[in-house]
Amino acid sequence: MEQDELAQELIAAVSEGDDSGAARLAEQAISAGIQPMVLVRSAIQPAMDLIGKRFECGDAFLPELILAGDAARAALDQIMPRIGEKDLAAARSGTVLIATMYGDNHDIGKNIVAAILPTYGFKVVDLGINASPPAIVEAAGRAGADIIACSTLITTSLPYQRQVIDILKETGRRDRHYVIVGGGPVTPEWAGSIGADGYGRDANDAAALCQRLMAGPKPPLAEPLLLGALKRG
Amino acid sequence: MHNAPDIAEVLARTQTGEYCTTKEWDTRRVPGAIRRMLEKHQLAKTCNPSQPCNTDFELADRFYRAGFDLALELGYHCIDTQRTVKVTREELLNALKYARSEVFVGEGIDGTLIKHRTPGDPYPTASVCSLGITNSEKMFPLITEGIARERAVDILEAGSLTTIFGHEVLAGTPWETLMGYEHARMHREIRRKAGRPGMGAIGCISATTEYGQFGAYGTPGGFLPTDLALILFPSELKIDYRTLHKVIHTLNCGGMLKCDSPGMIGGMAGPPEGAVISSIACALLSYAILQNTVGGGEIYDVYYLANVNREGLWALSMTGQALSRNTHTCCHLIANQVSGPVTASLLYEIAAGVGVIASCGASMSTGPRSAGGKLNDHITPLECRFVGEVCHAASGVMPEKMNEICKELLPRYETRLKNPDIGKPFHEAYNLDRLEPTHEWEDIYRKVKGEVIALGIPLDEF
Repeated sequence: MEQDELAQELIAAVSEGDDSGAARLAEQAISAGIQPMVLVRSAIQPAMDLIGKRFECGDAFLPELILAGDAARAALDQIMPRIGEKDLAAARSGTVLIATMYGDNHDIGKNIVAAILPTYGFKVVDLGINASPPAIVEAAGRAGADIIACSTLITTSLPYQRQVIDILKETGRRDRHYVIVGGGPVTPEWAGSIGADGYGRDANDAAALCQRLMAGPKPPLAEPLLLGALKRG
Repeated sequence: MHNAPDIAEVLARTQTGEYCTTKEWDTRRVPGAIRRMLEKHQLAKTCNPSQPCNTDFELADRFYRAGFDLALELGYHCIDTQRTVKVTREELLNALKYARSEVFVGEGIDGTLIKHRTPGDPYPTASVCSLGITNSEKMFPLITEGIARERAVDILEAGSLTTIFGHEVLAGTPWETLMGYEHARMHREIRRKAGRPGMGAIGCISATTEYGQFGAYGTPGGFLPTDLALILFPSELKIDYRTLHKVIHTLNCGGMLKCDSPGMIGGMAGPPEGAVISSIACALLSYAILQNTVGGGEIYDVYYLANVNREGLWALSMTGQALSRNTHTCCHLIANQVSGPVTASLLYEIAAGVGVIASCGASMSTGPRSAGGKLNDHITPLECRFVGEVCHAASGVMPEKMNEICKELLPRYETRLKNPDIGKPFHEAYNLDRLEPTHEWEDIYRKVKGEVIALGIPLDEF
C-alpha cells in the first residue's frame, strides 16, 4: 500500500473508532517508512479534527467521539515509542487526568470533555466517577498529568475540588499540575475562590482552556483563566 | 396483582444480570440498539427544526413503540455491579398496566391532584417550582417563601442550599444527612409560613445522595409520604445503588417516587430522535424496575446546555406525546432555560418550553432553570409564577397551535441561547422587605405576558 493510501486508511480507522485497525495501520505505516511525526500530523491529527468537526455539527455524537479517541490512542501507542526525544513534546499537547468528584455519579459532562480532549491532541486519563481527592492527586502523579480536570454536577461535591488543590499544596505538588474545574454548579467565582487555574463552561471551553494553559506560564496561576463565563447583558 | 419484579428481585438482578462494562454500555450497547430502533421504526432524520412542536401523532406513536422495544432490549445498566437489569415483556406491560394515572401530592386543600393527560387536554399540567438552583442560606427562606406564595405554583421543590449553619456540605458524608433534614424542616416551615401548609413537595434537592434522602424523607418534621421523593439517575438508562437506596427508603416510608433522567441530544443516544427513544425507554423502565409513581420523559441538549432550542423543543414534544398517548402514566418534563431573571428572554424561553410540555400531554413540569441553573440566587418567584401560569393555560392548547406559537417565540430568544444574559440575582430583582418584584422586572413580565397572550396562550389577564 502506498504511504498516502496508508495515511488515508488510518484517518478512516481512527475517525470510525476502529482501534485494532488503527493500531495495525499505524504499525504498517511506520514499517512502510513514514516518519512517526509525519504520521501524527498527516493522519492522527486530521482524523481527530474530522471527528471533532462532525461532533460540533451534529453528525457524530459522544459514543463516536469516545471510540475515535480510543482508536487514536491505539495508533499512538504504536507511534509514540518511535518518536525521538526532540519531537516528543511537539507530538503531544499534554496529559489530562479527568474525574467526576467524590459523591457524584454523574458522568455525561466528564465523558464529553474526556472525549473532546483527544481531538485537540491531549492524552486523557479518565479516573471515572465518584473519585476522592487523594485518589485524584495520586493518579495524577502516576500518570504524569499536566492538567487535573475536576468535574461535578452536584453542589455538595464542589468542596472536593478545593480539596484537590489543598492536597497538592500540602504535599508540595501544586507546581506539577494545572487544576481546572467545570460542571453544572461550578462558576468562575468558585474557580477563583479555590485557587484553580482555569474554568470552562462547556467541553469546547475546557479543551481550549487546556491548550492555553499548556502554552502559558507554569502552575499555579495567580488568577484562573476563565472561558465561557456567563455575563450580564 | 402487580406482577412486575419486586424490589428484592430487582436487587437480585443487579447481581445476576448480564455483565457489561459501563464503557461497553456507553459506546456500543446503547448507541447500537438506538441505531437499530431508528432504522426498524423508520425514525431517523424525522426531527424537523422548522416545526419545533410535533403535530404528527402517528409519528409519536412510532417513537413510543421504538422506546418500548429499546426498554425490552436494553434494561438498565447498574454501575456498581456492571450488570444489566432487564425485564420481560410481560413484566413491563404489567408495570405499565398498574402504574398510577392519578397521584395526589400534599395534603388537604393545599394539595395537588396530578392526573394522566393527553395532548391538548384541558386538565392542567401541575407546576413544580423551582429546579435546584443554588441558594445562599440567607436567601433560601426568602426565595422559597416567595415561590410558595405564588398560587400558580402547585408543588414546591425549591433551590439547593449551598451551606448549612454556615458550613459547606460534603457529598457522601454525614453533612448530607444533616443538610437533608434541615432542608426538609425549613421547607415545611416555609410552606406553613406562606399559608399553604399542605402544599405538596418534592425533595430533597439540596443533598441528592442517599444520605440526603435518609435525612429528609420520612423523618419527623421532614418530607411526608404524601410528598414526592426525588430520585435522580446517574444518567439515562443507568442506575446505581444510590438510586436503589433512595427508592427502597421511600418505599419503606410508604412514600411516592419521582424518578427520571433526561435523554441527552448529542450524548449516548445521539441525535434528537435517539434521545427521544432513550428517554421513553428510561421512563417505561422506571415503572417496571423502580416502582415509579410519577415521572419519566426528560430531554437535554448537550450542544445548548438547555432544551428550549428547536431540536430540544421538538424532542420534548415528541416524548410527551408518545408517553401520554400510549400509557396512562403521569409523565413529567422539564424545560431547561438559560437566560436569567429580569430578562425578557427567560420568559420567552419559559413560554416556549413549558408551553410545549403542557400542550403535549405532560402531567407535571418542574422549572424554571433560570440562568441555566448555574448561578447562586439567580432565581425569583416571578418567573416561577410565569411557569405555573403557562403550565395551566397552555394545557388546553393543541400541538398544532403550540407549534405556531413556538415559531413566533423562537426568533425572540434563540440567537442568545449559546451566549445568554444571566440577568440579575434575587436581591437585585426583588424588594426583599415586601417580597415583591422590582418595577423593572414586573414591567418586563407584563410586557412578555401580553405578547404571549396575543400569540394564543390564554393566560389570565392582569
